[in-house]
Amino acid sequence: MISHRLTLEYTLHPGWLAPFVEGIASGNAMARRCKSCAGTSFPPLRVCLCSETEGEWVKLSGMAHILFRTSGQDGDFGLVQFDGATTKTTLRLIDIADEDTCGVIAAPKSNLPMLCLTRLPSGRST
Amino acid sequence: MQISDVMVTGAALTPFNRRRDGTGFRDWVVSAFGTALELSGLDRSDIQALYVASESDFFHLQLNPASVLATELGLTGVAATRCEGGGASGQIAVHTAARAIQAGAAKHVAVVGVDPSASSLSGDAIRELYGFSFDAWTDGMTGLTSTALYALSYQVFAAEHGTTEADLTTVTCQNRSNACHNPGAHLHRRDGPQEITDSPPIAIPYQRLHCSPLSDGAAALILSRRDAMPANRATAPTLAGMGAASDHMHLGARENAGSFAAKTQAMQRACAEVGIGPGEIGIAEIYDAYAGAQLQAIAALGLSAEVSRDLQAGAFAPTGRCAINLSGGLMGQGAPVGATGVGQTATCALILEGRYHPELQPQTLPRYALADTHGGVCTLAAVTILERGSSAL
Repeated sequence: MISHRLTLEYTLHPGWLAPFVEGIASGNAMARRCKSCAGTSFPPLRVCLCSETEGEWVKLSGMAHILFRTSGQDGDFGLVQFDGATTKTTLRLIDIADEDTCGVIAAPKSNLPMLCLTRLPSGRST
Repeated sequence: MQISDVMVTGAALTPFNRRRDGTGFRDWVVSAFGTALELSGLDRSDIQALYVASESDFFHLQLNPASVLATELGLTGVAATRCEGGGASGQIAVHTAARAIQAGAAKHVAVVGVDPSASSLSGDAIRELYGFSFDAWTDGMTGLTSTALYALSYQVFAAEHGTTEADLTTVTCQNRSNACHNPGAHLHRRDGPQEITDSPPIAIPYQRLHCSPLSDGAAALILSRRDAMPANRATAPTLAGMGAASDHMHLGARENAGSFAAKTQAMQRACAEVGIGPGEIGIAEIYDAYAGAQLQAIAALGLSAEVSRDLQAGAFAPTGRCAINLSGGLMGQGAPVGATGVGQTATCALILEGRYHPELQPQTLPRYALADTHGGVCTLAAVTILERGSSAL
């Protein structure tokens, strides 16, 4: 038996994705709007579904509707539709009750670009 | 040269399980290769190229494994190539090897698939690594696990196709039952509905028993050009068609998050090479990483237009019109990732020659068999259709 502990410290540079990654860190949903069809992808697509490569960064409201959700030992996750986005998003659900149908993006509590959706502040609705 | 000029002259698998018997991945590859070479009737010196399927260096802690394994197999000097495509790695290696023969680059090649997915790292470490099989910078960093992504995709599929918990149960019970007759399978257990319900929820609707286990093991193939085939291998099946395709890496960017569109494309390409439709497939080894993934695959491959109805009618049972996962599939036989696709192809080849485990071997040899894999949540799909040899037993 060979027992070996390997510790790796990665430094990853997001490059083109920097606005997206920085947005997540601050609790903002930065999406990519296509110059040609105005399709808005979140997470952003470098090449739009219509094949256009030119686009601009836009900030979404951060509110999203939950389409499907799963929970269990692995945690709570959802497939959601952000307001203003034409693609859907898979993300982590935090403090969202089973009966809740929508939520708002939240800044992660770790230093990873973790896409999180949490419950809406009381009184706020989509 | 046509694809049907590539013959499977050798095929073998080691047992898939948690190999905590002191052996290592090099041993498993040597074992599978030796058995496959013996079946082929060829000599080691006849092998002109080696293709190695292995998903991740993290598992075996060996970068550049193809050259290492070439040495271990006594093949030093041959061209050695490592092929990787997540869960599709094995089929991609098969395709790459067969295309080399088609291109005239070799007469005989070896394909080996291997991964120690179970015993070299903790389950939590493997789970985190698998999270980076999707888009590492979005899904992976978010902590989305493989099971959670598959669960979300399956829910979309179930909402559209009307599949139920009973269908997940049927797939689970059927695959595990088949595995009980496969002495090389990881799990020899007959799970019933109650055991499934009582198993822990991993990512609803998936309970633990709806999931495939992490396994260790290897599989090997010897592929030969028809005009160089050894005289004693007249029953060898042919690789009749191959197809591969990719889909958007983000589940949410797909037109239908529950549809395995890449699998449909891959299957269409493979069928076009053979000149048949999906309805002519007699047996299939399907990539059942999860019970629902098998249902999604059946639909995407065109094996059924009414998946739930046909499943419950026994169409995919061992005696059905298209027996699925006689080996037990990933859910029963196990999932040492790099070995999976190579092992599926080996299983199909052995069945088409009447050489499979006696209790699972169909009495009437089907003409066509399908080996189906994918990586990610079907982000990358690769399928292979094999045809029974004209002189099969």
